[in-house]
Amino acid sequence: MADFIRNPVVALPDSNPEAHFSEEELVFTPEEKAKIAEYVTQYPTPDGAVMWVLWLAQEKFGFLPPEVMRLVATELSLPYAQVYGVATFYTQYYKEKKGTYVLDVCTCFSCQFCGGYDTLAYLEEKLGIMRGHTTPCGRFTLREAECLGACGSAPMMQVSNGPYAYNLTPEKIDALVDAMEAGQPLPFISVTLPQDEDEMGGNRRTDAEAVERYAVPPVAKRTQ
Amino acid sequence: MPKVTIDGEEYAFEGQPGLLQFCLDHGIELPHFCYHSSMSVPANCRQCLVDVGAPVRDRKTGEFQLEENGEKVIRYFPKLQTSCSHVISDGQVVHTARTSEKVERAQRDTMEFLLINHPLDCPICDQAGHCPLQIQAYKYGPEGSRFEFRKVHKPKKVKLGPNVVLDAERCINCTRCVRFTDEISRSGQLTIIERGVKNYPITPPGVSFDEPYSMNVIDLCPVGALTSADFRFQARIWEMASTPSITTTNAKGSNCFLWVRDNLVMRITPRPNPDVNEFWIPDEDRLTYRWFNENRPCGPAALSKSGACSWDEAIQETAEILRNTGKETLFLASARATVEDNWMLMQLAEAVGGQVAGYIPHIEQGHGDGWLRTDDRTPNSQGCERLGLRPVDMELWGARLGAGEVKGLYVLEDDPVAAGLCSAQALENVQVILHYYNTTNQTLPSANVALPAATVAETIGTYVNEAGRAQRVVPAKVIKGVNRTLMMQMGLSRADQHGTPFDRWHNESHYVDCKPSWEIIPLIARNLDVEIAAQSPKKIMQHISASIPAFAGATYKAMGLSGVTLPPIEIEVAG
Repeated sequence: MADFIRNPVVALPDSNPEAHFSEEELVFTPEEKAKIAEYVTQYPTPDGAVMWVLWLAQEKFGFLPPEVMRLVATELSLPYAQVYGVATFYTQYYKEKKGTYVLDVCTCFSCQFCGGYDTLAYLEEKLGIMRGHTTPCGRFTLREAECLGACGSAPMMQVSNGPYAYNLTPEKIDALVDAMEAGQPLPFISVTLPQDEDEMGGNRRTDAEAVERYAVPPVAKRTQ
Repeated sequence: MPKVTIDGEEYAFEGQPGLLQFCLDHGIELPHFCYHSSMSVPANCRQCLVDVGAPVRDRKTGEFQLEENGEKVIRYFPKLQTSCSHVISDGQVVHTARTSEKVERAQRDTMEFLLINHPLDCPICDQAGHCPLQIQAYKYGPEGSRFEFRKVHKPKKVKLGPNVVLDAERCINCTRCVRFTDEISRSGQLTIIERGVKNYPITPPGVSFDEPYSMNVIDLCPVGALTSADFRFQARIWEMASTPSITTTNAKGSNCFLWVRDNLVMRITPRPNPDVNEFWIPDEDRLTYRWFNENRPCGPAALSKSGACSWDEAIQETAEILRNTGKETLFLASARATVEDNWMLMQLAEAVGGQVAGYIPHIEQGHGDGWLRTDDRTPNSQGCERLGLRPVDMELWGARLGAGEVKGLYVLEDDPVAAGLCSAQALENVQVILHYYNTTNQTLPSANVALPAATVAETIGTYVNEAGRAQRVVPAKVIKGVNRTLMMQMGLSRADQHGTPFDRWHNESHYVDCKPSWEIIPLIARNLDVEIAAQSPKKIMQHISASIPAFAGATYKAMGLSGVTLPPIEIEVAG
């Protein structure tokens, strides 16, 4: 019991973290600012755009240390605390530096039944790291994720907030990790859900050829 | 007038009241945590659920559909509604836990969820005894928990800022504190982080919860998650007696409670008054509680008696000095003393043949924020103005004192040396009579007679705030010696009032040997052979309100506990 108190399940955030980016780096370019202005127009109040802007900042800086969240808050004239609350709510926003590939293995209900924890354990062993950690080479971060909404293709994982890898088996994982280590495109095909199962003859995966890669959100090109 | 039926009883209402507030206003208890009447309604604690329905109208005829027995058919909402966010409309029927088993069950189950990760540490929790979660768990909660697993453990004793300590495990995420910083104080320093069972309120990295109103979240917190860094583990709630009073660090006169145990003020909390401070007081007001306990005098002293002496001796000595200095005495009123005290001083000055020069202004430019803090750091400058007193010309009187033109100085509950009126050297050849609160008073070493005065926590009196609202105070602490008027005003249930030296909670050394100035001044007058009738503050105020137009209507009865607004007067701005 005493151990729980010393090491709470939920950790206290570092209240005085070291800055990762210098003042000069912490700026949005005019193009980014124009984009932010466009996001803001899509909502009745500017705070609605906070998720877009956080995402933009994550794409720019790679992750969201406090100084970047402060930058977002200043850009949108929001309380820094509010931006911080939003960023910590979503696991898709990286609050600390992650590996090149972030492997989010789903261990929620359906995936758990179909071997989500086996997948996770296999990856832990293969990469030699525990869940929540990054390999020393900085290539992989392994995380346990809550439901990613692909229960029909369990067990699954998501790679770096982007492509989904479905129906994972040890062989598939090996091929996947090899490709990532080699820096090649991922050797599997993300599957979109068919709009009409009857058209597919009842087979959900016959349209697999139709899609080569998932584009990483946010991609929506918004034109007024 | 539109009507709503709550638990079978009909209530008329006006406008569009929220159901929960309407129920609370009408004495119908509904359990709730996140709702607070001064802030937005998030409806996230789900504790105030009620069953709401409305009579059904026939679509064609527009008539009410009737049951066979002639009663209106009521169609209920498919799910229970949170009463805090529900706006009442005409004809609605509401069932609370008293008349609906469904509601009772829902509230019990919600409570069970709230308690799943809540630690069972009530025996050591500061909130125990006045904890909404504890009270409502007894009233509406389940008898036990079915949760037999390891609870989620979160950070404990996190110092959010200089004055507030967080215990994240106790938090039920009502977001009251976050909404306070967003909507009321607008510092935006707090947020809820993480999600699901792991969330709790905290400041973002690198930010300290140091806004001047931070401690209000301690009172807002419906559990023991946010506690005062100062008051933490100092006293249990049932050991203290709370006395309604007002704060005296500035001219706002925010209403507060003084919490006293064993004759020591343990803490100060806000007392709701919609006309003055709503539900809040600034931190600086709360942190003055030590001022009532520490560095208090132990009886009067006179220079001629080379130190401590009896009250009789001190008063005789005062009279002697006044007789000698006579008209050449500079009388200084005080914006820290009550209206009654100042009025008595004016009577004394008149009797001696002198005049009260005014009061020492304590203006700290830039301290005020337009809300509950003011530039004026005294509680009663407006009261002095209404008595016809003005701020003294600091330079003029400072120069006169320095030049030795003043023989005697009579200071009512103030500190001319600390205020910069004169230096201690300038007072060497001046006969100084000083009414004072704390031994830290810098004029005290120069005083010929030092008369300990009762503070706001020990006296009865009236203060007028900057908006011209007269508010009276009653004693929260007992003083040494017997004063029937003070004793009569003490709460009858006070343990320490009736304590004897044999009771464990009772410590006579905490009795401060002081007297209210309205008691001291008639005693001095009697020694001067002039007649100032010793009166109770109530009688004094009656007299003042009848004779001075600026105090019209300011009787004790009219002031009650929430004060009375006086007719406006024109005030010359100091300087």
